[in-house]
Amino acid sequence: MDRRKFLKQSSLASGLFFVPSFVKAFENIATAKLGYKRLVIIQLSGGNDGLNTIIPHNNDIYYNARPQLAINKDIIKLNDELGFHPSLKPLRPLFDNGELSIINNVGYPNPVRSHFRSMDIWHTASNANEYLQTGWLGRYLDKQGKNPYNAIETDEQLSLAMKGEHFNGIATNDYKVLYRTARDPYFKNVINHYNDAHLSEHNLGYLYQTMIEAKSSAKYIFETTKVSSSKQDYPKNNFAKQLKYVAQFINSGLETKVFYTALGGFDTHANQTNKQAQLLSEYAESVQAFVNDLKRENTFNDTLILTFSEFGRRVKQNAANGTDHGAANNVFVIGKNLKQAGFYNKLASLNNLDDNGDIKYEIDFRSVYATILNNWMDVSTDGIISSNPKTLNFI
Amino acid sequence: MTFKEYQHLYWRAGFGANPANEFWFKNNRKKTVDFLFKNSKTSTPLHIDTAFIENIDIKKLKNDPKKRRELQKQSREKIRAFNFKWIERLIYPKEILRERMTLFWANHFVCKDDNILFVKQFNNTLRTHALGDFRAFVKAISKEAAMLKYLNIKQNRKLKPNENFARELMELFTLGEGHYSEQDIKESARAFTGYNHEPVNGDFILRARHHDNGIKIFLGKSGNFNGDDIIDIILQEKQCAQFIASKVYTYFVNPKPNLEHINAMANVFYKDYNIENLMRFVFTSNWFYTKENIGAKIKSPVDYLVGMARTIPVTFERENDLIKIQKLLGQILLDPPNVAGWKGDKAWIDANTIMVRLKLASVLFNNALIDLNKTSETPNNLRAKYFKANKNKLPFKTTPNWTAFLKNFNTVKTENLHEYIVQGQLNNGTFSYLKSLNKASKQTYCIQLMSLPEYQMC
Repeated sequence: MDRRKFLKQSSLASGLFFVPSFVKAFENIATAKLGYKRLVIIQLSGGNDGLNTIIPHNNDIYYNARPQLAINKDIIKLNDELGFHPSLKPLRPLFDNGELSIINNVGYPNPVRSHFRSMDIWHTASNANEYLQTGWLGRYLDKQGKNPYNAIETDEQLSLAMKGEHFNGIATNDYKVLYRTARDPYFKNVINHYNDAHLSEHNLGYLYQTMIEAKSSAKYIFETTKVSSSKQDYPKNNFAKQLKYVAQFINSGLETKVFYTALGGFDTHANQTNKQAQLLSEYAESVQAFVNDLKRENTFNDTLILTFSEFGRRVKQNAANGTDHGAANNVFVIGKNLKQAGFYNKLASLNNLDDNGDIKYEIDFRSVYATILNNWMDVSTDGIISSNPKTLNFI
Repeated sequence: MTFKEYQHLYWRAGFGANPANEFWFKNNRKKTVDFLFKNSKTSTPLHIDTAFIENIDIKKLKNDPKKRRELQKQSREKIRAFNFKWIERLIYPKEILRERMTLFWANHFVCKDDNILFVKQFNNTLRTHALGDFRAFVKAISKEAAMLKYLNIKQNRKLKPNENFARELMELFTLGEGHYSEQDIKESARAFTGYNHEPVNGDFILRARHHDNGIKIFLGKSGNFNGDDIIDIILQEKQCAQFIASKVYTYFVNPKPNLEHINAMANVFYKDYNIENLMRFVFTSNWFYTKENIGAKIKSPVDYLVGMARTIPVTFERENDLIKIQKLLGQILLDPPNVAGWKGDKAWIDANTIMVRLKLASVLFNNALIDLNKTSETPNNLRAKYFKANKNKLPFKTTPNWTAFLKNFNTVKTENLHEYIVQGQLNNGTFSYLKSLNKASKQTYCIQLMSLPEYQMC
């Protein structure tokens, strides 16, 4: 007997069941209120050079530190001091419309310059000397998530950020393939024959339950996603494809709160100029298409897009016309209703670098997370971000 | 010792029982366990040729970034090759228990490096000490080049202490969180100042001018301690034995800790910190063989992959496929997520990894097909068609050696195969479904069994 039928019948039999159905009705209001605000993460893997992304076009220190690498042509000037890399041209309308907030100098104390470890810190929201085994979005979903499809990553594997203590999101770079895999008739038979009522009480039950949830998540994503919904043209690259899927999911009304996407290749130790220009174009053109796609379907209002990279790069260029691993970097927040659009803060002084010659952090990245959790996702950071960071004022 | 118990012992102390049962002394637990330990008295280092990096001129290299990048690339490729060799070693181990312990310690003393020579040295240090004296083990780890790099010990200098290693030494390697103060971390970090290694061969050196010879106050004791002294003081704490016992218990016995058994283990371990004695105590205890411990553990990706390959010998035509599989399953050897290691147990399983796991046996051994036939007539043309359609789309290129499988399981009747393949209890409903399947082919039935959630347990 399904739950609804059970409630219906039993409430006829006994007035006592008024309480559970009342609670249930209450739950519905709560989910409706929470369900529609969405967060899209864009991870620029490898350490994007923030200084050549948001360029201090009036700063001699910048030009002196980068004789071959500094950008001096076609900068899209946004104010007297800072401007976009030419490749970011597609983002200009967002900036002008107050739909983009650029937060400078984001990082953490005692920055780590290993990709791997620094990414780990961003994913888990830990201190530099602390090692956590769950991610910040995973912990958020421990509280708020019900089904794996509440958090979708457009990749084959799930990032640490998306793994909680109990909750795990679902990763798929092609939801149709995921669905076909889940539909293997052998699994169906095995699940149908499984007859243990105590699903999550022991490890074997946990495996069956995860399989059942995976199957139903794959089915839910496949059946809820409207194939024809996207009228938007996207660039032809893998990152654009990820965003296109995300737009399709959002525009189809999937009950997914967090989407995780990534664009890699930013580790530009040598011959940075062309490589970064190409990657930033891919980024900006894809994001432009994505935002337009959401706007067309009126879903942009309820979507917030956060772009980050595990660290910035050294102010001084190296001998191979590239840059080495740095520290603090800029973070982009894209959405409607930003409280402080444009530049959230000034670029830190290039006169006052740390011992490695890197930009010092001014804003802890966990403050950015905390602000999103508090002001956008509408949850407290308790149990999600342990460092108790102060919230900012960008949304 | 019953067959079930023997199987249980070999899943936990090794990577599954060998169907020939050559190490099984029927109804004699002592003999069976003695054999397990005797077999691991020796230690066979895992070898890979690292000559290319052993004879470099470090001074010349400083001014040659191109050469440096080339060496880095070569080193990364070698690390991948070392990964295959390690997996291969686990599939065909000489010293079974020692290899299992090595894998265990690799997720305790977690470390990662990009220099193949240091990676190899570290890995073989784990192997050498895997069943030995824990005290000597920790001291050796603190002097390994890979660890000196990974936890920034080599940056730890008298005038500029780096606390990374000191903190993790206590939090993750010996005592566990909450059994020391921040001050203890600061003081012990001073004891490890000046630790470094020869740049090329990785040998440990103490740079005297960077070492802090002052008095340190640590865990209530004071003196001019060096790193080894700090480790000795830590091991005086009963908590250290308790911490290791608890970790061994949740890994080898049951992910749900049982305090009574852990306390008993800690008492044994605290006497002499001899790892072999501790493990012998576990494997000879009655509680190790109780029903609730058999099949209670979720296989790690490596347990799962190695276990399958031990049952059905298989050649991976492309070595990179092995890395890809480890990645999909969420555990690439030599590439841990951070110094806390893989969380293990339920954390191995999410919506993606469960589907990969249930599907992988059929992909590796049967072109992604799991047979469903209930009667004997598999439409052969349909099968051929399915194979053809899938042949070029498969993500991995493998050749299973079915002849070897059939030979190994020669004495096992197909309808009894599940007793050998599946550890622990099959769910009743699942079991009745299995019963309904046709058992004309031992191979097909084996793949069906390996595609069950039950197969993920050991």
